[in-house]
Amino acid sequence: MKFDTIIIGGGLSGLTCGIALSQKGQRVAIVAGGQNSLHFNAGSMELLGNVDGEEIAHPVEAAQRLQPNHPYRKVGIDHLEELAQEAKTLLDKAGLTMSGNAKENHWRITPIGVTKPAWLTLEGLATVASSQLPWKAVTLVELEGFIDSPLQFVETNLAAQGVQVKVARIAPAVLTQARRSASEMRATSLAKILRNHQALASLAAEINQVTTADELVLMPMFLGLDDDALAALQAQVKPRLAFLPTLPPMVPGVRIATALQHYFKMLGGTYLLGDKVVDGLIEDNTMRHITTAKLQDVLLKADNFVLATGSFMSGGVVADFTRIYEPVFGLDVEAPANRADWTLAEVMDDQPYMSCGVATDDTLHALKEGKAVKNLFAIGSVLSGHNAAVQGDGEGVDMLTALAVAHRITNRQ
Amino acid sequence: MAATTQTTFASANNFEQCLKCSICTVYCPVAAVTTAYPGPKQAGPDGERYRLKDPKFYDEALKLCLNCKRCEVACPSEVRIGDIIQRARMQHPQRPKLRDVLLANTDVMGTMATSMAPVVNLTLGMKPVKAVMNATLGIDKHRTFPAYASQKFETWYRRHAAQTQESFSKHVSYFHGCYVNYNYPQLGKDLVTVMNALGYGVHLLEKEKCCGVALMANGMHEQAKRQGETNMQSMRKSINELKRPIITTSSTCTFTMRDEYDHVLGIDNRDVRDHLSLAARFIYQLIDNGEVKLAFDPNFKMRVAYHTACHMQRMGWAIFSTQLLRMIPGLELIELESQCCGIAGTYGFKKENYENSQAIGAGLFQAIKEADPQYVATDCETCKWQIEMSTGVPVLNPISILAQALDVEKTKQLNQN
Ligand SMILES: Cc1cc2nc3c(=O)[nH]c(=O)nc-3n(C[C@H](O)[C@H](O)[C@H](O)COP(=O)(O)OP(=O)(O)OC[C@H]3O[C@@H](n4cnc5c(N)ncnc54)[C@H](O)[C@@H]3O)c2cc1C
Ligand code: SF4
Ligand code: SF4
Repeated sequence: MKFDTIIIGGGLSGLTCGIALSQKGQRVAIVAGGQNSLHFNAGSMELLGNVDGEEIAHPVEAAQRLQPNHPYRKVGIDHLEELAQEAKTLLDKAGLTMSGNAKENHWRITPIGVTKPAWLTLEGLATVASSQLPWKAVTLVELEGFIDSPLQFVETNLAAQGVQVKVARIAPAVLTQARRSASEMRATSLAKILRNHQALASLAAEINQVTTADELVLMPMFLGLDDDALAALQAQVKPRLAFLPTLPPMVPGVRIATALQHYFKMLGGTYLLGDKVVDGLIEDNTMRHITTAKLQDVLLKADNFVLATGSFMSGGVVADFTRIYEPVFGLDVEAPANRADWTLAEVMDDQPYMSCGVATDDTLHALKEGKAVKNLFAIGSVLSGHNAAVQGDGEGVDMLTALAVAHRITNRQ
Repeated sequence: MAATTQTTFASANNFEQCLKCSICTVYCPVAAVTTAYPGPKQAGPDGERYRLKDPKFYDEALKLCLNCKRCEVACPSEVRIGDIIQRARMQHPQRPKLRDVLLANTDVMGTMATSMAPVVNLTLGMKPVKAVMNATLGIDKHRTFPAYASQKFETWYRRHAAQTQESFSKHVSYFHGCYVNYNYPQLGKDLVTVMNALGYGVHLLEKEKCCGVALMANGMHEQAKRQGETNMQSMRKSINELKRPIITTSSTCTFTMRDEYDHVLGIDNRDVRDHLSLAARFIYQLIDNGEVKLAFDPNFKMRVAYHTACHMQRMGWAIFSTQLLRMIPGLELIELESQCCGIAGTYGFKKENYENSQAIGAGLFQAIKEADPQYVATDCETCKWQIEMSTGVPVLNPISILAQALDVEKTKQLNQN
């Protein structure tokens, strides 16, 4: 079976690359071994939030100071702004309206109520212009039995910034039935019940009872999975209502994942969900074909291949007791040789293992035994050279490396 | 310290690989429509931890699982959640109700019914009969029973096809399944037409038993296992002695025999699995390898929406059917978003499940209405009943569409050797 390009991995980077190539008329297949880590995304994209321990307001400008092996160096620091704009347009075409731009970060509110710099945030979610909260007072909506939002942390963290916090408890009858299944009082489960207009109206009524029109109300985002429930609720309640992300799986992240998968398929892309690439043949520094667990002896062939298998959590790189390796093709990995050097004692430190990943040349071709594989690129979190948790650049690296590689593939034709 | 370190997972159905991410529950069609079902994470790996400690933690809500396996498709950690749930149900058997025994024994029902097809079809369709079935058996009165054919596929095959099959140089065995045999022999006839045109003789297995999927769903695992062993024996003979691979036209029978025999029933099918394929995949591979060629009727025109059945999604094989359909020049293909139709074999026939079943399928029915195709194509027979009953749009197996679209004589000539 032959495609123009085959992408291995169906997360943010794989989907972005697949969409960009499909838009250019390529026949693209994405092999996705299960759903992806977008399900743990809080609805924001980060481009660059921290350089050398300093929180960043202007990511494009600050990128000049990045370490020499950072993936942005391989897409070209001069191209960051243009690629970031292209990424935003792509998200918009997929039906995801996001606010923000690459020149200037805004600050998002995390599920525990602290602020973090962000590049793009899905509409509806609470954002502020700087790390200092401008609010005098907010009302937090607490839903009885809801297990996916640590509101006490939010309360404490907002109060620490001098915000006066009032908690308004609600227990809408429409969700009573759901409360019987205590383990399933989750954001994504409730969002399915709240697709129903009547259910939504009764939620709005409950909120109106415990709030007044002049309040700023923050509520965990347990609605709006794939519908317009957010806007509908905002229109039905008296106060100004903004949403906070919850614990995973997060509604905004699932929304982004769903929208991108839909858009890719709408453009004619083939999304092989639930299959896994198990092997490939590399000869003369060229990837000839790959095999998957489900298609077995039907070989997948393409002019170009893109590795977008994510980091440790998704199995793109694996650590065992002796080494860190890339499990599918045995590609070169950048990682400290000595296991003791993978980690530092303090969990919040810049953990070295977080920067481990697949080694690439200057144009993001994956390396095997020191040589670039001519038609195999690596993109997204599988790449080495940065620590997304510390540098606040995860989604930026995913999307911008994906777009840069898509350009290289289409220019090559 | 232990002498060796365990570096790989060792539990059944990848139970210990679960990260507790809850992604599976986001994609469960049952949990989406009823809070009575706790969802795959809770029913599967979470509940299993407790059940391993004490079987009394078994939760009756597990019978609401459709066994659609969409949780497994979504799980990033390859946990076989559906298999864990099926095995838990198997280990906590309940005496099946008379209705479930009837629904599950597709071949007994079929044998009785085909011999009296006109009478049975008429009575099954009558309002008073439906009301009685609803009240006494718990079969939902809204359900239209699939019509029974007046001649079994096997009978047709022996009378009209068997004699000519040896004349071909290449051969396959055909596992037709209960549905082709009793309800819709036309699909079996279409399969024979297509394979003959490609230069393959089609043969029945020495002994074919219902794959057992309905038995498993209704708690009759011992019987399912016996039938499975019989099928494996016939297939071994076909593969090893007769050198004939086995093809099927039902995604669910194929999935059951390739995967659930091993994962749920504990039948050793390793030597058979790779020789057992869906006809769509088998034919696609022949074309992809340049071994056969197709010639199409230039006047053929059809607007088709393809529905990915749950087990087709789980096998990852929908691509073969859609690629095959795309080869037909006069065919316009719309690929529907992959989602459950709600029937899940015998599940949707039960009165207590009818409402959930239709609620689950609502999204698909709406998508079909919007696509407004002439036909829906799908590889699963129970999806066919559900979609036809709920949307009124006729449903065909891709093999039947291929049979209609081919210029059979020309294809025969192209593949003579
Ligand atoms: C998704 C998730 C969310 C959670 N959320 C919370 C929370 O919010 N609050 C909370 O309090 N707790 C939470 N927990 C639970 C908490 O993370 C665990 O209780 C805690 O991490 C357990 O630590 P551990 O070191 O005992 O086990 P683990 O962190 O699981 O470590 C076990 C280690 O042992 C290794 N190992 C296994 N077998 C062997 C062997 N034979 N030889 C050598 N090594 C072996 C494994 O590879 C692994 O590295 C959560 C857990 C998960 C999975
Ligand atoms: S098999 Fe289907 S119905 Fe059962 S838990 Fe999984 S997703 Fe839900
Ligand atoms: S079974 Fe899979 S999808 Fe479900 S919680 Fe566990 S790891 Fe996540």
